[in-house]
Amino acid sequence: MSNSHKKETNNPFDIFVIGARKGFNIAINNLMPNVLMAYVIAYILNVLGLMELLGSVFSPLMSVFGLPGVAITVLLTAWLSASAGTGVAVSLFAHQQLGITDITILAPAIFLMGSQLQYMGRLLGVADVPKKYWPLLMLTSIFNAFIAMIIMRLIV
Amino acid sequence: MHNNNDKDQDQKVQIKVGIKAYIALICAILFFSGIFMNVQDMEWVKSFFHIDHPDKFKAFDFTSLGGQFGTMQHPEKNTFLGEGGLSAKAGFLFALSLIPTVMLALGVLEIFTHYGAIRAAHKLLTPLLKPILGLPGLTGLALITDLQSTDAGAALTKELYDQKQIGKKEVIIMGAWQYSGAGLINNYFAIGSAIFAWLTVPVVIPLLVMFILKFVGAAFVRMILNSLYKKDFTNE
Repeated sequence: MSNSHKKETNNPFDIFVIGARKGFNIAINNLMPNVLMAYVIAYILNVLGLMELLGSVFSPLMSVFGLPGVAITVLLTAWLSASAGTGVAVSLFAHQQLGITDITILAPAIFLMGSQLQYMGRLLGVADVPKKYWPLLMLTSIFNAFIAMIIMRLIV
Repeated sequence: MHNNNDKDQDQKVQIKVGIKAYIALICAILFFSGIFMNVQDMEWVKSFFHIDHPDKFKAFDFTSLGGQFGTMQHPEKNTFLGEGGLSAKAGFLFALSLIPTVMLALGVLEIFTHYGAIRAAHKLLTPLLKPILGLPGLTGLALITDLQSTDAGAALTKELYDQKQIGKKEVIIMGAWQYSGAGLINNYFAIGSAIFAWLTVPVVIPLLVMFILKFVGAAFVRMILNSLYKKDFTNE
C-alpha cells in the first residue's frame, strides 16, 4: 500500500490502474450516493404526482429546447449537483420519461450549469472572486446551458 | 467534580432540545414506523381523514422508499439490473452498473495526462486567451487545470491574484470561465459516462460544445465588465 514511487511510475499499466482506482473512488463516493438519492427523489416526485405537475408547468419553456417538461427536474437538480442531475436523467430514462435524444440535448447543460451551489464555495470563494459578481457568473452559466441545449437540438 | 461537570453538561444538553428536535423525532418515528406504508388498505383512516389518494403516503415511508430490485422478466435481454426496479434499490444497482466505465474512463484519462495531453492543451490554449478573454498567457495553466480539478484550478487562480500577476477584472473573467462547467473533463468522464451509452452523437461533441461555451460565457462576462461595471475597474 505505502508505495512511495507510486506517482513516478512510467509503466502505462500501472498508470491505468492508478486512474482506474480514482475512478472507483469517485464512483463509490460521489456517483453511487448521488444516483441513489436521485432515484429516491424521482420516486417521491412520481408518487406525489409532482413530476407530472412540474412537467406540465415547464413544458412550454422546455419545448424551446425540444425537450419534454419533466426535463426541468434534471436541470434543477443539476444546478445543485451535477451528479444528482445525471442521476435524475438516468432515472427518468429508465422510466421512459426521457428518450435518448432528450438525454443528448441535456448532457452539456447538466455540466455547464452543474453543481453551482457547491462550486460557489469551492471555486468562487477559494479564488476570491468578489461576491458582487457571483450572480453575474451564475446567470452566465445558466445562459451557457440554454445555448448548449439549443446547439445540441440542432445537432441531434 | 467530574460528576458535577457531567450534570452541568447534561443540563446544557437538555436545554438545547427545542421544538425542532421533537418534530424531527416525531417525523423519524413516523418515517420508520411503517404507518404510511399501507394507508390505502386502512378504510377507517381514509374515511376519517377524507384522503383521496392514500397511495401518496408511500412517499413518506421508509420501506416504500427502499424500493425494489428489478426482476428477470426477459432473461435474454435483462442485465443484472432486471426490469421494473424502484427507488433506492434500483438506484443502487444502476450505480453499480456504471462503475466499470467510470474506472475505464479515468484509467485511460490518467495515461493521456501522463503523456502530456494537458501540457499540449496548455500550449494550444495560450495564444487564444488574450484576444478572446483579455487574459495574459500565464493564466492558461490555471484554466487548463480547472478542466481536471475545480479545486486545483481555483487555488492556482487565487495564487496568481495574490502575487498581483492579475487584477480583479481578470479574476472575475477567469472565475466565469472556470465556474461554468467546472472540472469539465473529469466530471464529464466520471459522472457523465453514466449517460454515454445513450448519446446519439459522438461522446466528444458535448465536450466540445461545453468547452467552446466556456469561452462564450467568459467573453460575455468580459463584455459586461467593460460596459456595465466599467466604473469598478477605472483604478486598475
